[in-house]
Amino acid sequence: MKQRATTLLLMLPALLLLAAVFLYPLLRYGWLSFHASSVLTGLVPVPNGGANWLRLLSDARFWTDAGQTLRFAVCSVALELAGGLALALLLHQPLQGRGALRALTLLPWALPTTVMALGWRWILNDPHGPLNAAIRSLGGSSYAFLSTPATTWFFVVLADVWKTLPFVALLLLAGLQTIPVDLEEALRLEGASRVQILRRLTLPLLVPYIALALLFRLAQALGVFDLILVLSGGGPAGSTESLALYAYLNAMRFLDFGYAATVMLATFLLLLALLGGGWLLLRRGGIERTPDRAT
Amino acid sequence: MRLLVLLWSLGPLLWQLRTSLLRPEALVAPLLEGSPWTLANYQLVLSGDPPFWRYLSNSALVGLVTTGLTLLLAVPCAYGLQKQRGPLRWGVGLGLVAAAMFPTVLLFLALLEIARSFGLANDLLALSLPYTALSLPLAVLLLRAAFADLPVELEDAARLEGLDLGQRLRHVLLPLLGPALASTGILVFLASWNEYAIALTWISRNDLLTLPIAIARIGGSSVFTIPYGAFAAATVLGSLPLLLLVLLAQRAIVSGLTRGAVKG
Amino acid sequence: MNLTPAAGLELRQLCRDLGERRLLDRLDLKVAPGECLALLGPSGCGKSTTLRLVAGLDPASAGKVLLDGEDLTDRGPGERQVAMVFQSYALYPHLSVEGNLALGLKVRGVPVRERQRRIEAILDLLQLQELRLRRPAQLSGGQRQRVALARALLRQPRIVLLDEPMSNLDAQLREELRPELRRLLCGREQPVIYVTHDQQEAVGMADRIALLEGGRLQQVGSPRELYADPANRFVASFLGRPAINLLAMEPHRQLGLRPEHLRLGDDGAVAARLQRREWWGHQQLLWLDTPWGTVRVLTAPETPLPTEPRLSWQRQHELWFDPRSGERLAHGRI
Repeated sequence: MKQRATTLLLMLPALLLLAAVFLYPLLRYGWLSFHASSVLTGLVPVPNGGANWLRLLSDARFWTDAGQTLRFAVCSVALELAGGLALALLLHQPLQGRGALRALTLLPWALPTTVMALGWRWILNDPHGPLNAAIRSLGGSSYAFLSTPATTWFFVVLADVWKTLPFVALLLLAGLQTIPVDLEEALRLEGASRVQILRRLTLPLLVPYIALALLFRLAQALGVFDLILVLSGGGPAGSTESLALYAYLNAMRFLDFGYAATVMLATFLLLLALLGGGWLLLRRGGIERTPDRAT
Repeated sequence: MRLLVLLWSLGPLLWQLRTSLLRPEALVAPLLEGSPWTLANYQLVLSGDPPFWRYLSNSALVGLVTTGLTLLLAVPCAYGLQKQRGPLRWGVGLGLVAAAMFPTVLLFLALLEIARSFGLANDLLALSLPYTALSLPLAVLLLRAAFADLPVELEDAARLEGLDLGQRLRHVLLPLLGPALASTGILVFLASWNEYAIALTWISRNDLLTLPIAIARIGGSSVFTIPYGAFAAATVLGSLPLLLLVLLAQRAIVSGLTRGAVKG
Repeated sequence: MNLTPAAGLELRQLCRDLGERRLLDRLDLKVAPGECLALLGPSGCGKSTTLRLVAGLDPASAGKVLLDGEDLTDRGPGERQVAMVFQSYALYPHLSVEGNLALGLKVRGVPVRERQRRIEAILDLLQLQELRLRRPAQLSGGQRQRVALARALLRQPRIVLLDEPMSNLDAQLREELRPELRRLLCGREQPVIYVTHDQQEAVGMADRIALLEGGRLQQVGSPRELYADPANRFVASFLGRPAINLLAMEPHRQLGLRPEHLRLGDDGAVAARLQRREWWGHQQLLWLDTPWGTVRVLTAPETPLPTEPRLSWQRQHELWFDPRSGERLAHGRI
């Protein structure tokens, strides 16, 4: 019993800090969402019943952003998984200089999102960016990539994929390394082709890792913020605005803290529903048997 | 294949490097037209007010304090969690996974309120408090996995020899956890170095900005006026420490991510 | 073995529960000073559990651990002066041989000079002098075992516990090390408990054997007692290789006959037909079909087989069991 008390005590400081930083905000948002707290109230919270929540329900911008966020997350995570799998398979081969290759491919992931978002802005600059310069040197004319919704959206997804693909690849690579070599050899002895091995052996055994990458990346992509703030500012005309960005704008630009808190809480609840549902689906698919250890 | 992968990952970065070494007039010249290299952009950035290395040292300070604090809290927590059985272990583990996945930008408003009411805004050391909390879930999960990988008998042997908990951690467990501590520390440092939303709202004094904010300011103010070379130079300077870190600690990072992945 | 009531180690009604499961059920056991007792049994029988309770690594759910009459039950593992050799040896991988030996002394505040003296002595005793600077990873299995043993003996323990200390070694090395282990451990003043699942090792190492199964003590006694006079069917079939023949000759009694006690000849009680022959060099094992099923018989390798072989045995070798409970029946006891 004494030992158990000690172990609990050891966990306490970390858990308290976590509660302060993760739980308190959620409770605070819950409270704030039933108050008006904006320039009009002098930034002093005044109870306003469910007005914020009613406003949210009929706030077209919120629901448009929700759709846009979901579309962004689904597209970029799908591309990351596909690309990440390909990259993982490549890095799994016994190549020369594999360590250095892994480090270099990891670099985009290690850089600050904002920095690389600005880098992309320069690349897409009209008319001086290298992409437009290349188009001109091929005889075309400059194009303002960040002023039409379709191209902006495309490059936002591309920038996200570029940054996070290495992360997904590494996750899947970890999974590949847990597959015993003799399984593949056994299948090869039976005359299976490389494609068949991939489909019948590698992918099924990789499912827990794919599910994990999917869940983690989906959660992050649904909360996308700094990439969009810096690369497109949510524009043009709000066409790339995400929920997190909308919440941020409500707080820092419109100075409407009550409604900002409502948007954040609603975003969190939507996320929870989506991921919780996804998790349950995965579990029912029998994926909870995630291997315990990479040995 | 390898070349293609490298081009994809490094192309945009190399372009920044090239941009940083060109004169402004060369930037608007047709693509790939030869022009003399220059270090003028670097001089501009380094002689700014405050000089650029100030931002580097700000970020390094926050990063180091965050890393130290996170490990200090995460090690005992991971050890305690590893010793738990039953619903508590399961519940705390699930909570940590959920927290690790939580989009942190959603927290900034409440954290900003806390910072203002406790007078923590514009305080670099205080900034490492939320950073520590944001890094803790992953750090605890990684370190718990590392503790779980140590043979139980090692600690049993130490208990039989009369080592108390502190002695066991100091003489037996932590030395064996070295690699896991290193990889966890690096991941925490990276996360702190790159954080944007909280730093953006907590820090407003120009000489206290962390690197991502500073670079975004240099670049953001200049996207249309194009002192782009300066921004590129800032990017390169700000990325060099990360480049070194990633190259030197590639193995540790990969193994850290791997553990986190599998155990999470 | 004369047991004075207070001297040595005594386990009294010792129990260990894990959740709903009872891992160890009311174990009573005494080990005299200098005696080596083997805890024998299949995996999961409770032998390692017992060892951990004696060491204080796990708390007892009920019962007592007494040493020389002194109650150790509520003491922590560091306060019991117990030494243990683990199956994996549990050497600290980041420390040299010397570091492994020194750590325990260091944290207990033994002065440097005294520490040095004791380490030197134990290094000499176990012939580890040349290896003192190596890390565990640079040692062979046998060397690791010696270091683990050195670490255990270094602290001048009041009880020595060994948890399958040979199971990571190959068969030949095991046989070589057995006498050395006996020389180092047994016949000193401490009681020694030696856990193993290998009956040969138990017979070779121990003065007495305690056989466990399902968390319960089945029988305790000298190897000879357990072999000749087993308390039940489990003891009879666990000890002795090849295993005893169990024949359902009568509805309410089961007859146990060891393969080495059966003879083949022209006359005997039961007709048999040769099925298979295993040649072992110094012996041969015959598998025979009889009206009661297959029977194993151990004979000298060159024994000629009669054309119509029949089985016979001596009355005194019959062991009768209750077919349901497995308990030994009084009939035919020596």
